Amino acid sequence: MAIDMTQFYQVFFEESAEHLAAMEALLLELDIDNPDSEQLNAIFRAAHSIKGSAGTFGFNDLAETTHILENLLDRIRKHELVLRGDMVDAFLECGDRLREMLDGHQGRGQADPLLVEAICTKLRQLSSDEVASEVLDLVDSAPAETLSVVQQESFEEDEVAVISPMVDSGRRVYDIQFVPTAISARGDGVANLLDELRTMGELEVITQPHGKEGEGFWEVRLTTGADRESFADQIDFISDNGAWRIAEDTSVAVDGSTAFGFFGDSPGVPDSVRGYGFFDKSAEARATAETDGLGSDDAYGFFEPLPGELLAALEAVAVPDEGEGYGFFAPLKTPRIEPSAAAPVIEEGDGFGFFSPLPPVAVEVPSILDASKLASIALSGSPAAPAAAKEPPVLARAVPKPAAVAAASGDSSIRVSIEKVDQLINLVGELVITQAMLLQTATQMQEQVPERLTVGLAQLERNTRDLQESVMSIRMMQISFVFSRFPRVVRDLSSKLGKQVELKTSGETTELDKSLIERITDPLTHLIRNSLDHGIESPEKRVAAGKSPVGTITLKAYHQGGNIVIEVGDDGAGLPRQKILDKAREKGLPVSDQMSDQEVFHLIFEAGFSTADQVTDVSGRGVGMDVVRRNIQEMGGRVEIDSMIGVGTRMTVRLPLTLAILDGMSVAVGDQTYILPLSYVIESLQPEPGDIKTLSNQGRVIQVRGEYLPVLVLPELFGIKSKWRNFTQGIMIVIDADGTKAALCVDALIGQHQVVIKSLEANYRRVTGVSGATIMGDGHVALILDVSAIAGMARSMMQKVG
Amino acid sequence: MEAKTHTGSPASEEDLVANEYLTFTLGSEEYAIDILKVQEIRGYEQPTLIANAPAFIKGVINLRGIIVPIVDLRIKFKLGTFDYTPFTVVIILNIARRVIGVVVDSVSDVISLNANQIRQAPDFSGSFDTKYILGLATIDTRMMIVTDIERLMTSGDMELIDSASE
Repeated sequence: MAIDMTQFYQVFFEESAEHLAAMEALLLELDIDNPDSEQLNAIFRAAHSIKGSAGTFGFNDLAETTHILENLLDRIRKHELVLRGDMVDAFLECGDRLREMLDGHQGRGQADPLLVEAICTKLRQLSSDEVASEVLDLVDSAPAETLSVVQQESFEEDEVAVISPMVDSGRRVYDIQFVPTAISARGDGVANLLDELRTMGELEVITQPHGKEGEGFWEVRLTTGADRESFADQIDFISDNGAWRIAEDTSVAVDGSTAFGFFGDSPGVPDSVRGYGFFDKSAEARATAETDGLGSDDAYGFFEPLPGELLAALEAVAVPDEGEGYGFFAPLKTPRIEPSAAAPVIEEGDGFGFFSPLPPVAVEVPSILDASKLASIALSGSPAAPAAAKEPPVLARAVPKPAAVAAASGDSSIRVSIEKVDQLINLVGELVITQAMLLQTATQMQEQVPERLTVGLAQLERNTRDLQESVMSIRMMQISFVFSRFPRVVRDLSSKLGKQVELKTSGETTELDKSLIERITDPLTHLIRNSLDHGIESPEKRVAAGKSPVGTITLKAYHQGGNIVIEVGDDGAGLPRQKILDKAREKGLPVSDQMSDQEVFHLIFEAGFSTADQVTDVSGRGVGMDVVRRNIQEMGGRVEIDSMIGVGTRMTVRLPLTLAILDGMSVAVGDQTYILPLSYVIESLQPEPGDIKTLSNQGRVIQVRGEYLPVLVLPELFGIKSKWRNFTQGIMIVIDADGTKAALCVDALIGQHQVVIKSLEANYRRVTGVSGATIMGDGHVALILDVSAIAGMARSMMQKVG
Repeated sequence: MEAKTHTGSPASEEDLVANEYLTFTLGSEEYAIDILKVQEIRGYEQPTLIANAPAFIKGVINLRGIIVPIVDLRIKFKLGTFDYTPFTVVIILNIARRVIGVVVDSVSDVISLNANQIRQAPDFSGSFDTKYILGLATIDTRMMIVTDIERLMTSGDMELIDSASE
């Protein structure tokens, strides 16, 4: 069966990218002077996982580079080396290179081999220059220590396994059994693993599968000074779904080979050998064996830890009627019976069903089997026949002992393609519409509706809403996904610019739709770079201005109404109003000194606008801020700027929570229904006669709480015939978009709904003043108003008037 | 009615491959469009108006959760009467990965035409719609205007699709 490896590539890429991100985050958090060993371990694990999977999938460049990285990391976490700042830099750089390689493999760009070589050399250097000095140090001190250090170092240094025949107290013998996955068996996975283990100590392959490409049961024995955690991960990685086990055999530590009971092919093996029957590990089986005249020999059952699926299969074949065909033992290619090895099985308990799933079989066994048959079954199952040996105390050793539990803990998340989620969201959207339709029909029928139907519909409404919320929350991701990359940006950029900047983040747990998360990253990066480059001053200037030399950039996310607000603030120089105005005039933009600060600041979003005195490679070309604004507007959001000279600048990005659902107010205009996003609505009022005044007989304004607001008559804007002739018959809705307020005149307010946003552009084109469409309860389409665009109409109207 | 007669002189095999066309009437004219572009045919329902759209774009309807614009070709080509009766038909087209509804007077037939049966249309230069006409086909006494519906619907004239410059 040929497996198309490429189908797993995507998972590998995603996982590796996640590991890299995790590694970077941890590196940045790391306190260099006093590194937390947990963190170091986590970094190591991340690197290690990448290396393991890269090797499996045959991405050798990745695997090699990670290997070097891992070596150095390993030495640091073992406290052989002291962590230094330049190491962290090297690690980060290495992470970048790895990311480039990953991108390269995905067909996006390519890693520069020179840079890769450079970083590898650097890492090797970091790893080796310390070795010399440290070994020297250690030679002077306790010789025993030196020995161990030298040994360990040799393991690190590479594939030469330095195995001292002498038994040192720290060395232990591990008995490792695993069934590799088809993939790792096919690739170099197993070979790599064995190489890896060889570097740790003495490795003896006890059983290896015959035949095709290493698929099947492996058993190796490792005598090493390292602890099991150091290789458990690798074995877990390579093995099929938990089909692995590491047993520590303390009893044989001194003399490895003797304790491993290999048995002859006949039951007549000397009693002195610790042999254990290979038949059945259930207590019942053992009992029946005795009664059935297996003689005085106690047969101790021992089951291979079979993964759940296998077990089920086994139960099926283990039906007694099948006589000789007891496939019971078939998967057990190992002849070795080692009681302590059974211990972890018990511990792992879950899914392996040590005894319980099998009692019926066990009970049946005696009825049809005599001792010889039993033996023959065992023979057929395992190449080296088990001996019925008497060594009752051994049972005690099979009793669970506290040991490390299998690493693969139950996954708390699953990967689902985004299309599936979107499909689900669409379907739920349809359901919401249908539900609304039903409800409306019921309402129209009024008294004729049976009570039970009303109750049922109310229940349906609640359930649909809950369903909708849960489905929507699938797409929600914490904004920390975005924020986590900024410490790096700030770190790199501030050192490049010679500034001292501290990044403070808050509200990382704020949740946001995934599609927004993806799209907000670039604009936010840009805002932060901008703050760093233009906002924060150099340390000298800051000190001169009486500020702390360390600038602060704050990144904040929180919910406000139906919006998520992301603030990027700095305590830098602030935006120079006059300079912006001068620059704008220079560029021929229509500006006046009367413009409000907000309006002036918004000029920096104009294309090609830059007040930077010099163009750096960071920013200053005037490209970017316009892109930022455009991106944010495309997401249905907006940007606001607050700034004060000498105090700082704050950019506030407001985004809708999701792109798919909107809280809207439905309004009637003529015979049409429109949806007004609720987040823009401030209030609504019915104008009194005389409230509405005209300006130079063109623009109309209405006075609301002392403010004159431009009046936008929706029927006029959209060319719809309205039912009324006079404003007092309509309703004024005060809207606030991008800081511009206006009064929108409509016929009537209908109600408030959650609406599913449908694209108008999918089958039609953009319509000014309309941001999308939705389907109402009666199945009709209602257009969603683009309040920003409508407010823009108001603004241009006012400008014409003013 | 299935027209299977092959008129005209025998030509290359390619010419003899018949394609199926859906014919519909607009006023007194009969049009034929490639049936593979047709998704379904349904009755007319009152669409939702789109602000500031040209008159021939009647609005959008909800087609099982998809927002579909409705074009009235009778208005566009200034043919026939513009009243909407229970018999007014909307042909839902699948064009350029978009779904568009077209209002016509009535749908008449599905016919097979091979290349030989489609004659070059005389060139009325200046009239905007001739460039969307693949040719004219005659079956019995009826003349059908074989239309490149995809080209027509995606053209700038229809104002259905954002031009790239926007």
